Amino acid sequence: MSEHDHPHEPITSDSKPSYYEIMETAVRELLIGKGLITANEIRHQIEVLDSRTPALGARVVAKAWSDPTFRERLLADGRAACEELGITFYDDTQLIVLENTETVHNLIVCTLCSCYPRPVLGLPPDWYKAKPYRARAVSEPRKVLAEFGTIIPDDVEIRVSDSTAVIRYLVLPRRPQGTEGWSEDELAAIVTRDAMIGVIPVTVAERAAS
Amino acid sequence: MTADFVSRLPNDIGGAEAGSIVQVDHVLEPWEKRCHALADVLDFKKIINTEEKRKGVEALGADLIGKLPYYERWIVTFANILFTKGLLTPTELAEKMAEVEARFAAEAG
Repeated sequence: MSEHDHPHEPITSDSKPSYYEIMETAVRELLIGKGLITANEIRHQIEVLDSRTPALGARVVAKAWSDPTFRERLLADGRAACEELGITFYDDTQLIVLENTETVHNLIVCTLCSCYPRPVLGLPPDWYKAKPYRARAVSEPRKVLAEFGTIIPDDVEIRVSDSTAVIRYLVLPRRPQGTEGWSEDELAAIVTRDAMIGVIPVTVAERAAS
Repeated sequence: MTADFVSRLPNDIGGAEAGSIVQVDHVLEPWEKRCHALADVLDFKKIINTEEKRKGVEALGADLIGKLPYYERWIVTFANILFTKGLLTPTELAEKMAEVEARFAAEAG
């Protein structure tokens, strides 16, 4: 270990904490001081947030592709089926899973803010929370999809589902051709976050990159 | 034109005109992640739920919503809601922020 890499080097930042970071710390400490929340609850929730990534959603999709009875249960009650796989729902939301088919392509959005299936995908990307996606996904989804490089044939219906505080959506993408006989782990490795939002399809080429 | 302001609150942008999608993302700053965890804990403890949070952001008004980034909007909203519910006072927060700022400055040396 070089001297520039010393483990006791103080953690420094180039910029001073912002007004809002100071406010976050102050609000949190005041609420802890009043006994309304505990430091341990915040610490634990940070661990929960860190434990949620698109890999969980990918497992759900791979299982649905591999197990027709699981797929039925998933489409009937998304939350209960995810809970079967040990994925807990920490935010008191329901999950509706939308299946892409030869004739229907699904896209999810939250026009009002940033609601997202966090228990199974983690936190949304910034573009999902920004105005262009929120504003345009509902009015010109084909153009939005084209900006992600996704061209949906005119004879395929596009359904856009707008999330709410208590109802969240997850897209079940189509299983790509050429994946016959793959294990669930192999399938999960090609399922991406953006495919479960519905802005891109799942492709076999993803395997090389994953 | 003014009818748009009456019929649409600042968050209600579905169908509005907007530019191209820029596929941006960033790794959350530590304070942003703490702010997210705070939001979740406030929800679990039935202190501020998701719907109250969204309406609270709405109440900041279009100008501030346009100028503040995401978690900055959230923390300001939490403070406002906590004031409204009588769980914090503006004076308490101002005093605590001054204390925290001085502490950060001391830690930074």
